[in-house]
Amino acid sequence: MAKLTLKNLNKSFYKNREAIHAVSDLSIETKDGEFVALLGPSGCGKSTTLRMIAGLEDITSGEVLIGERKLNDLHPKDRNIGLAFENYAMYPPLSVYDNISFNMRAKNVPKETIKKEIDKMASLLDLKDLLAMNPSALSGGQKQRVNIARALIRRPEVLLLDEPLSHLDGKVRQKMRTEIKHLHNEINCTTIIVTHDQLEAMALADRIAIIKDGVLQQFGTPLEVFNHPQNEFVAGFIGEPPMNIFTVFATFKEGSVYLVSKNGKLRFNVPDKYKDYLEEGKEYRFGIRPTDISVVTDDQPYSTELNVTVFENVGEECRIHIKIEEDNILSIVSEEIYKLDTGDGIKIKFDSDRIHIFDVNTGERVEKQKVLI
Amino acid sequence: MADVTLQSVSKKFKKDIALDNINLKIKDKEFFVIFGPAGAGKTTLLNVIAGLYLPDYGDVYLDGEHYNYVEPEDRNIAMVFENYALYPHFTVFDNIASPLRSPRYKEPKAVVEKEVSRVANILKIDHLLERDISELSNGQRQRVGLGRALVRNPNVFLMDEPITHLDAKLRHQMRAELKEMQKNLDTTTIYVTHDYLEALSLGDKIAILNEGKIEQIGTPDEIYYYPHNEFVASSFGEPEINFFRASVTKDNQLSIFEEAKNQPLPETIKGYVKENVTSVKLGIRPKNIQYSFTKENENCVECIPYSFEPLGAKAVLTVEKDGNQIRLTVPSTLQVAMDKPVYVQLDVNKAIFFGPNKMNLLSKYREDAKGEVVWQN
Amino acid sequence: MKKKIIAFLQNAALVLYAMFAIFPLLWLVILSFKHDRDMFNTTFIFTPTLENYRMLFSDGEYIGYFLDNIIVSFGAIALSIIVGVPAAYALARFDFKGRDGIAFTFLSFRFAPEILVVLPLFLLYQELGLYDTYVGLIWVFQVLSLPLLIWILRGYFEDISVEVENAARLDGYSWWQVFIKIVMPLIRPGLVASALLSLIFVWNNFTFSLLLAGQDVTTTTVAMLQYVASDTVHYGQMAGAVLIASLPIIILALSIQKHLVRGLSMGSVKG
Repeated sequence: MAKLTLKNLNKSFYKNREAIHAVSDLSIETKDGEFVALLGPSGCGKSTTLRMIAGLEDITSGEVLIGERKLNDLHPKDRNIGLAFENYAMYPPLSVYDNISFNMRAKNVPKETIKKEIDKMASLLDLKDLLAMNPSALSGGQKQRVNIARALIRRPEVLLLDEPLSHLDGKVRQKMRTEIKHLHNEINCTTIIVTHDQLEAMALADRIAIIKDGVLQQFGTPLEVFNHPQNEFVAGFIGEPPMNIFTVFATFKEGSVYLVSKNGKLRFNVPDKYKDYLEEGKEYRFGIRPTDISVVTDDQPYSTELNVTVFENVGEECRIHIKIEEDNILSIVSEEIYKLDTGDGIKIKFDSDRIHIFDVNTGERVEKQKVLI
Repeated sequence: MADVTLQSVSKKFKKDIALDNINLKIKDKEFFVIFGPAGAGKTTLLNVIAGLYLPDYGDVYLDGEHYNYVEPEDRNIAMVFENYALYPHFTVFDNIASPLRSPRYKEPKAVVEKEVSRVANILKIDHLLERDISELSNGQRQRVGLGRALVRNPNVFLMDEPITHLDAKLRHQMRAELKEMQKNLDTTTIYVTHDYLEALSLGDKIAILNEGKIEQIGTPDEIYYYPHNEFVASSFGEPEINFFRASVTKDNQLSIFEEAKNQPLPETIKGYVKENVTSVKLGIRPKNIQYSFTKENENCVECIPYSFEPLGAKAVLTVEKDGNQIRLTVPSTLQVAMDKPVYVQLDVNKAIFFGPNKMNLLSKYREDAKGEVVWQN
Repeated sequence: MKKKIIAFLQNAALVLYAMFAIFPLLWLVILSFKHDRDMFNTTFIFTPTLENYRMLFSDGEYIGYFLDNIIVSFGAIALSIIVGVPAAYALARFDFKGRDGIAFTFLSFRFAPEILVVLPLFLLYQELGLYDTYVGLIWVFQVLSLPLLIWILRGYFEDISVEVENAARLDGYSWWQVFIKIVMPLIRPGLVASALLSLIFVWNNFTFSLLLAGQDVTTTTVAMLQYVASDTVHYGQMAGAVLIASLPIIILALSIQKHLVRGLSMGSVKG
């Protein structure tokens, strides 16, 4: 058990004589036993970072530390890190038991010790019935459990999971997600997970590092990044269904602040505190989550009236879509099931504590103090 | 403009039964969704309707006409394929224009150009018309595939998982667009998917297919609120519905957990629990389970937290009771101590009851209805 | 610095090998411009002459051999495309009993040495009156080129997803139209590459041309024998003849080089 620190980590390489910065100045400090997710779209450098931690990739500059111990020049096997590969990477001719114990047998650990360790792992990950089987006979979820067992049997200080759920589908995926989360509660080993699926990162991690083009965008708890995204990228990347984001103009009228969409279809006023952050007549990017809009029956502050474009009822919730611009739809998710149809007029109200306004050029959030979580 | 009827259609591949006695009646202009897990036979069913497979047994009718032996090119059916199936050596324009240039339509050049640009406008791919297929992203390819189907005026649209391969965000947007398009489309559409959100959102009617058999046919509301059996119940809704075994006592009380008070059987169910039935299964959706951190009353059951997964505004709390997991939907701001018990209350009035044969107690198969579900109330 | 030296050594090795590989061709070119009397001179200094080429074309016979070669080779390739494309399609698309067996049988045509099968064929051809005819040679050459064509094209057909064909059917095209409009253009690189490779095999074939023909139908390879006279071997003329005979293939290969590389690397042979 230890804390993992990445200090100004850089990775660059040459491709066609052009320098490519896969990872730029990445600094992350985990707490002991913390579950951290590296989240980003494909090609953002998250896997490269994981491989640098594991020692499978050279570090261009910067440091990787476990506690005070510097890992940069250590061989992967001496780093005391367990890595569960994305594609399982199991030895096909060996049984599950031999696959898990492979590493220990290579180190000449006595048989009885191996057996004891594997029994412990088997009860932890529910593998008892699988130990004698061949990897080819396992289902996707079972393979992933064996894969994790193999990474954990070395009693690593840090566990690395590379897209552990990406090869599973539907229900198995959800089940495995729950199991990984439970497992982490049980063993409390510092864990880094790499994923491109924001739901997975939210569900599993204590803190999420969102990376884009090799640069850290935000590092915070799932609720922080969900409720208080630092920039437009994070706002759009986190959340399903995605946040509604529009370009708006700020206008001041009778002492109140109004935001108006480009074509004027969406016009609403926002709390007075935004006077301090917004400039009159300037363009901004305005964001609000589909769950933070409610349908109201009477006139209320911060409300506006619109016509339904598409209405979906999906059982546990309903979704209302309103076309604002040619290719920009405002979506509303409501737990209360309405019966609506295309063309119906509704009044909607934005939760004024949960609106997000970003600079149109830099994408940075305009007001820096925290909103309610 | 057509209705489609399938009568006891069966299809085998070597020894695998892909379709087993399928009976469907799809009305004119209906948006009909075929829902099922991978390998359920959904695509095979579409291919039978398209005329790409000849059923081993059974008949396909289009507008009352026997269609088994009509060649695919003569059926006037448009299909959107899961892997898009675009012609890689054609440009986007030529791909979309292909049906109009075929011997079936043989439209003059001017009409082809007009129609293609009309469809391209709707799908917002008008700037891509001169591109090669290899230069397109998945989302764009999918639009071209849709365009090739929409450019013509077919009897039936077949859509095989048309938005499955898009990422979650694009899928959300495309679903809304499909739904909008459907409003303006007056053509019978058969839509295959394994995503329950798509099925509930788009379908006028949904048929649930599993291992080549139809489990239930119904409107989205029927499917969600009155699932015919446990399979259907567990396929719709996320997180998955929770099942609880309960015994029925002599005085029509339900005992779910030993430590909780017995609850009376709901009135609506009473008549359908037969004399000799002593055990039923309750299905309760995760959002309908009450929870608390103190034992509030006699209905509370003590559970051990298993995991807590925030997913944005909502979170999934999984707790364990006697080795069984129970999933709850809770606000993500809820503070759950993993080492303290969570108390759970089940409201039997919100439950769906299943009998020993995994069937909903309120439904029954009418044998002569051949797969159609008939409701008793 | 170290990297530069290694790169230099690598290049030097490649140049050496290129010289080694290209030397026979170079030698051939030199020979064809040498007078017979200079032939066994080991020095490279000689007066170039066009005498050999003049001799070659003096009686017009060589042009006849050349035409024979063209008729026989292209005839064989055309025949194997007509037979091989449908065969490859069937082997790729349809699941029938003994499919792999049949595919293997086609390949096995190339297993036996030519000299082994030529004797029975000779007797058969004599009986059937195919000996020393165009049809006879075309037929036997077609057997040579067919396996390669079928195996390469089968991989190509397998690479075209069935859905693409289905989509075109539903667009309103009949099966034949789909095949001509959609499928054929997609296998073209493979068709070009395999046809060219087969052409090379057939063009340069010696055994069958010699033993199943030779008087009425004479290919360039067999014609070479004529330069072995009773008193001397006319190496210069032979070299010239060989060069001219290989020119069409070289030109063809260079002109479709792009297709050739793509055709053999893409899709190509799958199990």
